[in-house]
Amino acid sequence: MRPVFGIAGYVLREAISRKFILAFLVGITLVLAVVAMSLRLDVIDGALAASRLFGNELRSSIQSVDVALRPVYQGAAFIVFYGGILFGIVACSDFAPGLMSPGRIEHLLALPIQRWQLMAGTFLGVMTLALGGTLYGTTGLVVIFGVKAGYWTAGPLIAGLMACVGFAAVYAVMLTTATLVRSAALCAAAGFALLVGGIVAGHRQDISTFFEEGVSRTLFMAVTVMLPRLSALAEAAGHISASTPLEVRSLGTLLLGVFVFGLGALAVGFWRFEGKDY
Amino acid sequence: MEKRQKRKLWLGVAGLLFALAALLMFTGQGEESRPEAPKVEFPRRMRAPERERAERRRTQVAPPPVDAGTAEKEPARPRDPLLAALPRGKGKTAVVIEANALRHSPIGALLLDCLMRDGGKQLDEFRKASGVDPLQDLDRLVVTDEGMMLSGNFENAKFKELLGERTSFDYGESARVYEPGDTTVPQKDGTTVRRRGGGSIGTWNNQLLVVGESPDEVKAAIDRVEGRGGDEPPLLTENSTYGEMYGVLSVEHIARLFPPEQAQLAERLRAVAQNVELHMDASSDVALVAEVTGANSSEVEDLGKSLGAALSLARLQAQAGGDKKDKDLAQLLDFAKVRPDGDSFTLEMAVPLSIIQERLAFCREGRKEEAAAQAPSEEPAPPAASDASTQGAAAAPSGE
Repeated sequence: MRPVFGIAGYVLREAISRKFILAFLVGITLVLAVVAMSLRLDVIDGALAASRLFGNELRSSIQSVDVALRPVYQGAAFIVFYGGILFGIVACSDFAPGLMSPGRIEHLLALPIQRWQLMAGTFLGVMTLALGGTLYGTTGLVVIFGVKAGYWTAGPLIAGLMACVGFAAVYAVMLTTATLVRSAALCAAAGFALLVGGIVAGHRQDISTFFEEGVSRTLFMAVTVMLPRLSALAEAAGHISASTPLEVRSLGTLLLGVFVFGLGALAVGFWRFEGKDY
Repeated sequence: MEKRQKRKLWLGVAGLLFALAALLMFTGQGEESRPEAPKVEFPRRMRAPERERAERRRTQVAPPPVDAGTAEKEPARPRDPLLAALPRGKGKTAVVIEANALRHSPIGALLLDCLMRDGGKQLDEFRKASGVDPLQDLDRLVVTDEGMMLSGNFENAKFKELLGERTSFDYGESARVYEPGDTTVPQKDGTTVRRRGGGSIGTWNNQLLVVGESPDEVKAAIDRVEGRGGDEPPLLTENSTYGEMYGVLSVEHIARLFPPEQAQLAERLRAVAQNVELHMDASSDVALVAEVTGANSSEVEDLGKSLGAALSLARLQAQAGGDKKDKDLAQLLDFAKVRPDGDSFTLEMAVPLSIIQERLAFCREGRKEEAAAQAPSEEPAPPAASDASTQGAAAAPSGE
């Protein structure tokens, strides 16, 4: 496994050297700092009595702080989930095409490592980056609201980790696309298409009613059964973040399913990469 | 391993993983349609059906006020006699229960199951003895400081048989007042017994039944209906007649409901609040809105915050408690919130219907057992609940 970690480290060094990754981290820090400094919560005996943003009083009800913060945490979970995946698609789309670009791929293939390890290392490096960014953002959010409202919950943190599992499936498809076409734009397009497909797959039961019964509906159901249920995962992340009951039958099974889909996509990439001539 | 074999292996692994992923996601998410998240609608204003209901109840044309003839005569407008009969002045209590609407609500059906666990025998006996079917003829019930009022269709009521031994006299234009005295009360075995005492009773136009401590209280209520009361407006205006239960409670009454450990909060309520208006909606879930008004907006806001904090603390304590009672209380307080609005605030609380159904399930089971026990011995009679539902709403009071 050492070569895999070596490549992951190489990807991370590459990412750090890129200014927009640093800008992303600075951006998260700024958002957290602005929230920390501009938001004032007045909590009495566990009830959110008043809240001020940039000195302006927000018109809100007086209710238990955990109930009052539910929409905030749920909204944050959705932003982390979909925003994180979208940013990841854009920011990481040229890692794999860059590594496979002429001049660099020959150098990497000359190293005493197997081809699948090269791809697995790239995947691991990007996932480490996504995990780090998510943990940084969600931990900051938990700490800010914990200190200000006195209500501590690991919900947003867990929601962030679930977003990383969703991104793993998306990035695996992007990485596999890079083995087919060496284009950052097409990799990003593949990731975006899977994100849309994943949103549709999560609502397949509701959407299927728009298809006429018969071949078209069966075809739709057959295609979407294979796609990762990203919207279902996002909604579950929102519910966990807001500490409200889950709607999915088994979250663990769903998470495992999305992750296994990512591994499947990676295996296709390994198959393609092993047979490709550079 | 040859390169070609290795590639085949990766492809095989990929196929297996995709199939496994599809299976896991299929079982993990579940294919059944998701239940709607509980959403409670609070009664915050009058809705169209309630507005229509209020218009239908304007059955009485009030006589014009007597003056020296200097004021410009305004055309008499019809009004709701029950609202006119309500007590007047600050610090009084009047809570209206929309018996007919409540009876046709889901919670009404559940409560009816509880009341009819004896197969409706007691209700039948009451119907026969009084000539009044509470499920059909009763429209509204009002509880006040001075007694009780009932509105509905009392044309078939056997007041003379029930109250005939009391001293009675005609009063005003369309009323009859029965002074306190013996009352004939029907028994389970079909016989009747006489009971001494009881309050004074007044009937008005076969639409209103007023029960009070003394004949003077009853007469005062009838005076208000027939336009001989003061100029003060009634406790409740037509615009406040929304929900299945609504009314104005005196601050003193509300403060007495607080537990001893919240005595300080109760004292603040007495000092700050002037008026508490209640509205309860039972059309699906049971949602309660209480609007507390005071003279000093900053003191009212502080009171709202203290009340919100007390509810939050109670919810946290209920969540920490392990038994079912605590769990139910935590669920009840989950929807509790205080909405400040200048010199008033509204307190909202709700109990989802599913919780009430769960708590009252034993009544339905009891009725089923009763029906099963009766089935072999006698001809099965249709249950009263279905009787009422097939006949629709209660008969409108006369004049409606």
